[in-house]
Amino acid sequence: MTHEPTQPVVSLRQAVVRYGGSAAIDGIDFDLRAGEVHALLGENGAGKSTLTKVMAGVVHLSEGEMLVDGAPVSPSTPKDALALGIAMVFQETSLVPTMTVAQNLYLGQERAFNRLRGINIAAQQFLQSLNFDVNPTVTVAMLGAAKRQMVEIARAVLHNVRVIIFDEPTATLTPEEKQHFFKLVKNLKARGVSVIFISHALEEALMIADRITVLRDARHVLTEATGRLDRETIIKAMIGRDLSQSFYGHRRGDTDAVRPEGRRLLSVQNLRMAGVVKNTSFSVFAGQVTGVFGLVGAGRTETFKVVAGALKRNFLHGGEVVLNGRPVRYRTPAPAIRDGIAYITEDRKVEGFFETMTPPRNIHVGKLARSWRSQPLAPKREERQLGETWRTALNIKAVSGDVKVIELSGGNQQKVVIAKSLVQDPDLIIFDEPTRGVDVGAIAEIHEIINRLADAGKGVVVISSYLPEILALSDRILVARQGKIVEEFSAGEADEKKIMYAAIH
Amino acid sequence: MHRFQLSQQMIVSVIFVLLFAGLSLLLPGFANTENLLTLLQNVAILGILGLGMAVIVIGRGVDLSMIASLAIPVALTLQLADAGHSTALAIIAGLALSALFGAANGWLIAYAEVPPLFVTLASGLFLAGLGQAFLFSTEAVVWPEPLQFLSAIGRGRLAGIPNSIWIFALVAVAVHAFLSRLTAGVFTYSMGDNPMAARLAGIPVRIMVIVQYVSSALIATLAGFVMAASVGSMSTRIYNSTWIYDVILVVVLGGIGLSGGRGSVTNVLIGTLLIGTLLNGLTILDVSFPVQNLIKGFVLLAAIMADTVLNPRNEETAQQGDI
Repeated sequence: MTHEPTQPVVSLRQAVVRYGGSAAIDGIDFDLRAGEVHALLGENGAGKSTLTKVMAGVVHLSEGEMLVDGAPVSPSTPKDALALGIAMVFQETSLVPTMTVAQNLYLGQERAFNRLRGINIAAQQFLQSLNFDVNPTVTVAMLGAAKRQMVEIARAVLHNVRVIIFDEPTATLTPEEKQHFFKLVKNLKARGVSVIFISHALEEALMIADRITVLRDARHVLTEATGRLDRETIIKAMIGRDLSQSFYGHRRGDTDAVRPEGRRLLSVQNLRMAGVVKNTSFSVFAGQVTGVFGLVGAGRTETFKVVAGALKRNFLHGGEVVLNGRPVRYRTPAPAIRDGIAYITEDRKVEGFFETMTPPRNIHVGKLARSWRSQPLAPKREERQLGETWRTALNIKAVSGDVKVIELSGGNQQKVVIAKSLVQDPDLIIFDEPTRGVDVGAIAEIHEIINRLADAGKGVVVISSYLPEILALSDRILVARQGKIVEEFSAGEADEKKIMYAAIH
Repeated sequence: MHRFQLSQQMIVSVIFVLLFAGLSLLLPGFANTENLLTLLQNVAILGILGLGMAVIVIGRGVDLSMIASLAIPVALTLQLADAGHSTALAIIAGLALSALFGAANGWLIAYAEVPPLFVTLASGLFLAGLGQAFLFSTEAVVWPEPLQFLSAIGRGRLAGIPNSIWIFALVAVAVHAFLSRLTAGVFTYSMGDNPMAARLAGIPVRIMVIVQYVSSALIATLAGFVMAASVGSMSTRIYNSTWIYDVILVVVLGGIGLSGGRGSVTNVLIGTLLIGTLLNGLTILDVSFPVQNLIKGFVLLAAIMADTVLNPRNEETAQQGDI
């Protein structure tokens, strides 16, 4: 499997992409050789997607340069990238669902008068030459995930691309479809196409990649031929942070006492939801922080949204949710909130705050949503008082009294969303990625809020994709993998390696 | 955002003042008390409908069936009273039909999850068709003798001001109290701002949708009573007019964003005054009805374009079928 180090097809030199203040990739060098399959590995947020999006013309470099065949280029749109021979197959496909396979293949290349029969025949011949078993006259909406992917690949090949980038291509495929996908990749390779393959699945990368690159915290860690790597080395590379530079220097249990388990607040048995949550069981106890770690697609958010009534579990064989010894099944979040469950969303802009309203009004809405049955009036005075109370309690910094939430910084927005839930006086508080898109100072403050809640005897769940955050906060750690809680650690016995081992399939 | 909204309100206010001043100077018969009262009286019913529509639009919906709820329940009441049933029964039957209709709209939107645009388009047709085909034998149901005691809501004056203007003012005060004082009003703004966040916060979103559509139906029916009392009959063919677009015009023109969560009663009042002034001026100038329609169409288009620029819809919380 060794390749002669020829001229790379695409390379990045000292590539930097910044969003706001923080760098999504920071000084990365990357080479893609002709006809190789190159796997990109790393935790969520390590910069894999950003790196490939730069090559595909979706994201633009803040610094550094990109070379194709040794010549500097800067594709500003996916179309430019396609002209350079680079195509990206996204997780959500870019096909037009109501058109046939053939129409999708030739989309954008139609002549003024198209003979449908003509393109059907051409598509048939082309698909056969690739050995793809897809009927060109079927509409794309009728196809499964695997066949759609084939059409996407076929379209890329039809455009004579030399580089195809796959972002999590196997996440939605069944085992047999995966095997087929690997065959396609080999087929592409035989045609001299280079393939970049982003994945969470280590085994897949080890199986089909010629070389593997590991990214961590926006930086390049290693690039090595697959033959010289094993599971152990890769996991070490993915997690081996230099923690002395981060304020997550400790883990719970090193510096402060691990909180003991209080009473059993929540117990979930055999929960199932629509193929995303698969027969999962776990418990949450009062008076401690339960950290939930998992990679994308592990079903953590969905599991806890079912608990909080935001999603419905399967009607039949959906399992059981027991709150304070009482089985519950919520159809909407409102009754869950009355029973003392608060779910604080990972996506505050989409389902967290009300952007046209001020912070006090946001918090007031939270209060009213809990107490509307006994409170028909919404006095402005109460709104001001609540705003003042929570501004002090959570140190929310707003420029002035009537500034809208949307104009606040990420950290302050998150605090408003937290206040909006805490004002409902919950007993079980579920934080989903509580520090995503939050500045460093506010991270420490939000962690402080979480610790205070657990110290006050509340049951606290923290869902996070960032291992140091999980380790710094949790008294107990649950690890989710593919829709299921698969491991449980106490703070004392957990370390990054054990958790990552459990989380990777 | 705040500044933007103010500016739309201000633009419309300035246009209104300019138009008013211009007409006062140029048209001799315009700026006397009697004409101004006529102007207001002419748009009072439109204004009442606009207030009902405002509640819906702020909650990120739209109610195209308002004209049906204006006509059919009122005609039912008139017909029952005319046929000799007790007036109380007749009025209760009309209001019950209206409330039931609004609840059905709300149920279809909240529970069957059909976009409001389509629900109310279809339900309005259904109610109007039901009335025209089965309930009423004539196209216009006259205001019957037993209901004479009620006709004051559309006729006569109090303190020199026509009663329909008083009713408009009362509804404005009531809707303002609903939106700015009641918990339900805060929920309405929340749902319009971000329906997903409203649900996740524990707001009873589905119940609120029903409350909103029942209130818009009842407000429309009240407008219908005022109208029937003032002209002495209720024409069931009114549903076939393009009146509902005038109602949307008043709401959008006043600066209530169609994307929801923004605006207040003030915006409806400004929109109503502007349209009233415009139509009154055009009528005094003896502009023909088709040309008036042309001008209204142009103004509606301009207002919606301004709305799209000033109150852009939030793509992240937008749903299919939103207008």
